[in-house]
Amino acid sequence: MSLQARVATLAVAFLAVAAGVIFVVFHIIGAQPPVENYAPYAKNGAVDVMLMTTPETTVSNKPDWVSYFIKNPATGQFDHTTYFQVPANTKVNVTILGYDGCTPLRNPLWGRVSGVVGDVENVAYVNKGQTTPTQGVSTFDSWADCSVQHTFAIPGLGINVPVASPPTVEENNNLCETGPCVGNDDDTGNAPHSVVTFSFTTPKTAGTFRWQCFVPCGGGYLDGNGGPMGTPGYMMGQMEVRA
Amino acid sequence: MATDASGAVPSPRPAPAPVAAGRRRDALWLLTLWIAASVIGCLLVALVWGPHLPPGRASEQAASQQTDYTVLATMATPVVIGVLLYFGWALAFWRQQPGDETDAAPQHGSLKVQTTWIVGTAAIVLSLAIYGTVELIVPAGAGGGQGPQPIFNNGMPPAASTTSWSPNSNNVLQVQVIGQQWAWTYRYPQFGGFETTQLVLPVDQPVQFNVTSLDVIHSFWAYTLGVKADANPGVNDVAYATPNTMGYFQVRCDELCGIWHGAMYDTGQVMSVADFQAWTQATAVKMASVTKILPPYALTYDPTTIPAGKINQALGLTSAGGGYYNPADPEQP
Repeated sequence: MSLQARVATLAVAFLAVAAGVIFVVFHIIGAQPPVENYAPYAKNGAVDVMLMTTPETTVSNKPDWVSYFIKNPATGQFDHTTYFQVPANTKVNVTILGYDGCTPLRNPLWGRVSGVVGDVENVAYVNKGQTTPTQGVSTFDSWADCSVQHTFAIPGLGINVPVASPPTVEENNNLCETGPCVGNDDDTGNAPHSVVTFSFTTPKTAGTFRWQCFVPCGGGYLDGNGGPMGTPGYMMGQMEVRA
Repeated sequence: MATDASGAVPSPRPAPAPVAAGRRRDALWLLTLWIAASVIGCLLVALVWGPHLPPGRASEQAASQQTDYTVLATMATPVVIGVLLYFGWALAFWRQQPGDETDAAPQHGSLKVQTTWIVGTAAIVLSLAIYGTVELIVPAGAGGGQGPQPIFNNGMPPAASTTSWSPNSNNVLQVQVIGQQWAWTYRYPQFGGFETTQLVLPVDQPVQFNVTSLDVIHSFWAYTLGVKADANPGVNDVAYATPNTMGYFQVRCDELCGIWHGAMYDTGQVMSVADFQAWTQATAVKMASVTKILPPYALTYDPTTIPAGKINQALGLTSAGGGYYNPADPEQP
């Protein structure tokens, strides 16, 4: 092989390795779900944020993972992300559409609503087009009842909200089969689900707060805390508070 | 090996008298400087640096650890100064002179130097080993005084009751520390068994931490209290502390436990005994609705078996979440 050919081969090999490293660093390790920016939509010191939980994530390459979705305030579509942005010192009115089935909490303490207005969440259940009256709940007993599917917890702010689950065996055997659960049939948007609402006030100063689910719902992974529990965009995320 | 013209190995030449005198002068200088620097250095370490060494003196245990670090640092100071001084002197004064191509004088073993070095370093190391062992076991450190089956109780009396507590008594305050990905929770069995995310302690009262985990291995590290204990699933790890300073302290996880390990921290508070008792009363009331659904207080918890209700049983949900794997489970991925 001539000297020129060797130099060319070495250069190509070097560039290939460098490109691979750059791809891994930026595309895989540094990848971050999109951030839903709710800050511009705050009015009169309040902003509405909508999330969704699903038993499957068919829009991703992990279709059997449970996941959260967040509604894009600009498009109205549910995006596969767990990152959102809200303004500081603002009342955040959260609605969670809970399409997943129940799982007992590993620590029943997380069945208590805390850190939100009144330490109460409002829950309604939807099934076959029927919606139950909304009721305030402060504590769920997930061991005695089929009552909790996930939690929305921001430990840094003392917030813990159990996401109510469809309560019956029949409902839990007919859960949504897509992710996100949008559509008008019984396998998608009309599948049994809960509607959970609560409010909290963001800190007066800017900061980034991680949030997570305290139900170890990564089935098949070590102690249930791997997979979706440890992957941004599924069962954990960040709330960025902007000044 | 160099030989002379006859092939014989030349005998070492005795050092000229001026060289020997120079060595004695250097040794005298080195010794004088070492003693002076060591005295100054030890005083600075013990009196100036020592009070600022971690973990501080916010508890009896932390104060004991700070004293230990000060003792160790002070003992090490003459050794460090001796090594650095000798190194610096050699660099400055024993350099090869420009144009000097001759070999240095041959070195011979010195029984006096070797004996002094071996005896001196052995005395330092062995005395510190004895001191360290005593400190680990007796007053307040880790080791034999703590752990899953503590041999000693750091001078603390065993808890006379696990269901009630009164200050300044022989009944040590029990606080259970429960690690889970990714948060600490704390249970107070002597106040009705409530569980909370807040760690609150009374000042000047001995505390027994019972540390365990609900999933993977964590490590409870109340840094400024001088307390660190592994939180293992299925194990009760005991640690003691007697906070003596009111205020806040940081609690961190010191065992890599998953993606949010770095965020697994919170802030504890040491308050007066009266405030602590008021806090326990208020918190017991506040947490009453969830306390009654907590499992009975135990030193460890097994999430693989829960008293599942009828609907959960019908759904096959008889364990607490996500496929808990016992640490000894061979199927654990």
